[in-house]
Amino acid sequence: MKMKKLVVALACAGALSGSVGAASGPGYDDPDNWPQYHRSFNAWRFSPLAQINRDNVARLKVAWIHQPGNITHGIQATPIVVDGVLYYVSANNNVWAVDAASGRTLWRYEPKLDPLSKQTFYAAASRGVTVGRGKVFLGTLDGRFVALDQKTGKEVWSTQLTDLKSQYGALFSAPPQLAGDVLFGGTTGGDQPISGKIHAVNADTGKPAWTFEILRDDPESWPGDSRQRGGGSAWMPGTYDPRTDTIYIGTSNAAPDYFNADRKGDNKWTASLLALDPKTGKLKWARQEIPHDSWDFDSAYEALMVKGADGKDVIVHLNKSGFVFVMDKDDGKLENVWQFAQHVNWVKGIDPKTGRLIDPVYPEEGKRKLFCPNLLGARSWNHGAFNPQTGLWYSHAMEVCNEVVAGRDDPANLTAISSLSLGIDEIKLVPPPADKPHGRLDARDPLTGKVKWSIRYELPPLSSVLTTAGGLVFTGDMEGRIYAYDADDGKELWRFNAGSGLRGGPVSYATGGRQYVVVPTGLGSHAPGFLAGAYPQIKDLPGGAALIAFTVD
Amino acid sequence: MFVRALSLLSLLAGLSFNSVAVGPAAVEPAREAAPAGGQFAAPFDLADPARIEAGRKRFNKTCAGYCHGFEGVGGRAPDFKGRKDLPVAVMFETITHGRVGADVMPPWGAAFSAEQIWELVAYLRFLGTQS
Repeated sequence: MKMKKLVVALACAGALSGSVGAASGPGYDDPDNWPQYHRSFNAWRFSPLAQINRDNVARLKVAWIHQPGNITHGIQATPIVVDGVLYYVSANNNVWAVDAASGRTLWRYEPKLDPLSKQTFYAAASRGVTVGRGKVFLGTLDGRFVALDQKTGKEVWSTQLTDLKSQYGALFSAPPQLAGDVLFGGTTGGDQPISGKIHAVNADTGKPAWTFEILRDDPESWPGDSRQRGGGSAWMPGTYDPRTDTIYIGTSNAAPDYFNADRKGDNKWTASLLALDPKTGKLKWARQEIPHDSWDFDSAYEALMVKGADGKDVIVHLNKSGFVFVMDKDDGKLENVWQFAQHVNWVKGIDPKTGRLIDPVYPEEGKRKLFCPNLLGARSWNHGAFNPQTGLWYSHAMEVCNEVVAGRDDPANLTAISSLSLGIDEIKLVPPPADKPHGRLDARDPLTGKVKWSIRYELPPLSSVLTTAGGLVFTGDMEGRIYAYDADDGKELWRFNAGSGLRGGPVSYATGGRQYVVVPTGLGSHAPGFLAGAYPQIKDLPGGAALIAFTVD
Repeated sequence: MFVRALSLLSLLAGLSFNSVAVGPAAVEPAREAAPAGGQFAAPFDLADPARIEAGRKRFNKTCAGYCHGFEGVGGRAPDFKGRKDLPVAVMFETITHGRVGADVMPPWGAAFSAEQIWELVAYLRFLGTQS
C-alpha cells in the first residue's frame, strides 16, 4: 500500500495538472478533458487525473452548482468538457455551455420541439450531447439530429430523421456519436411496435448519409410480418474505434417484449452488438447475445474495450440478461461468457464457447412466471467504469425479479404515440427468491468476472460510475448520496448528500490547473417507476436537477 | 372546474372513431364522445364489478409495470390503494391528458376510449376502498 501511494505521488508530481504522465494511448489521452460520452472510445469512463486522490478526497468541497431550472426527469446526461467549457443537456433538450471553472452559463439553447413530443412515453429526458468539429450535436425528443455552433450555441443545421406519428414517438434519448465526419445514432423503440433503425448524417451539413435497418430482412429470423413491429432499436450511444474505423453499437430487445408467439425465429439483430462501417453503414459483423429474446433483455449497453489475456483488445459487453459477453473486437468471436447477476432463472447458463442459451425458460400466455433479472436488467443503462491501474471494472448491479403473465397486446390500444408493446397481461417487480431486493457496486476482473470487492445497497443505484487515476471510484445512489471509494478495496473515503438521486454520468476534468469532479444529480427516468413493486418507498424520493462541481482546495 | 370540464367535453365531442389505420393516432383526447346528458361523469356505475374488473385488467397490462406498481402501490406516483381524495373527474382528465412534474405521465387519451378510461377510473376508485 505504501509503495502504491508513492507511485501515485510521483506520477502526480510529474504531470502538469495532476495526470499520470507516463501512460498514453486510448483512455489516457487528452487527460484534462472529458471529450466524449465515455471519455474515450474504449468506454472506460476513466480520468487520468490524480490531483484529487485517496489522500485528499476527504477534503472535496463544492466549487459551484449549475441548475437548469426544470427538474422533469432530473439530469440524465454525462457532461462533455472541452478546454474549460462544460456542455450538457437538461429537460426538454435544453443545451447548456458552462464555464467549467466557475459554473457560469456561457450560452443556452432551447429548441422548438414538435408538440407531438409531449405525447411520447420517453418524454423530456436526454443523456447528453456530443462535441466536435466546432459543433455541439444533439439528438432531439422529436426525432432530429441538430448541430449547434460550439462557441455561440446557435443552430447550424437540423435534420428530421424519424416520424413520430407513424413510429410510436421514436426519438433520440441518447447523444448521437461522431465517427469522423459521420454522426450516427439510434432511437427509442425497443418496447414499441416499430422496426428499429440507426441513422447517420454528414456531421458538417446534416445531410443524411445512411440508415441501417436493425431488423434483418430474413423470413427465417422474422416469420410472417413480425419484422414490421419487432422493436430492436439502438437507444444508447455507440462508440467509434478510429484505429479500425468501426462503430460499435448495441441493440434493444425484440417486441412484443414477453409475448413471443407471433415472432418465432431468432429475431436478428435484436439483443445484439453490431460492428458497422461508418462510411457505408454496412454491417461488418454482429453478435446476437439473446436470440429470440422474450424477457426484455436489451443489449444496448456500452462496448467496453480492455486488454485480453494475449494483450489484444477484447470487447466486454454486459446486457440486461445478467451475463457479460467477452469477444474479439474484430469479428465478435466469443472468448468468454460470465454470469454477472446473482439471481438468474430464465436460463440454466450460457455456453461460454458458443453463446448457446442452455435450457431457456420462456414466458407463456396466461401463466404467471417468475423471471430474474427483471425487465430493467441485471443493471440498468447506467454505465460502468474501468481503471487500468487496478485492472478492475466497476459496475452497478440490481437484484430484482419480476412476475410476468404474458399476453397479446390489444391492437385497439396500440394506437397512441405513447403505446407500449410489452406483450403482458400483468407484471410485478418482486424480490429475488430467498433474498431481499438490492443493488451493488461490484469491482471485478472484466474478463472473468472474478470479484475483488463489492458494496451492497438497499436501493439499486442508477448512476453511472467514474474512476480516476487518483485511485478513486465515484458514484451515487437513488437517495442522493454521492460516494468516493478507494478503487483498490472499496473503502468509503468521502460522501455528500445532494438531496436528490443520481441518474447521470459523473465526470472529471482539469481547468486552470485544478481538477474537478462534476456530478449530475436529480432523480429521473422511468426506472424508479419500474421498480415500484419491489420498493414502495421510491414514491417518496424527491426529484431535482443540479449539476454539482467538486474540487479540493 | 366547470370551464375545464366544458372544454374537455368539446374536445371529446369533436373526435371520431377509428382515425388510425397504420401507426399511432396523433390526437390526444379520448376517442369516444362524452357521456350522454352533457355531464362530465361516468357513463356507467363505477361500482359495477364487471367494469372494475375490466379496469383492473387494463391497469395491469398498461399502467402497473412501468409506473404505478401492482395494485397501484409504489412507483413514482402516490399510491392508489386506500386513497379516497381523488375526484373521478381529475382521474379521467389525468389519464386522458397526462401530466408533467418531476416525472412525466404521457397522455393515454388516444390509446383508450372514454369508456375504457372510465373503467380505469372505476378500478382506481375500487383500489381507494382497499387497505
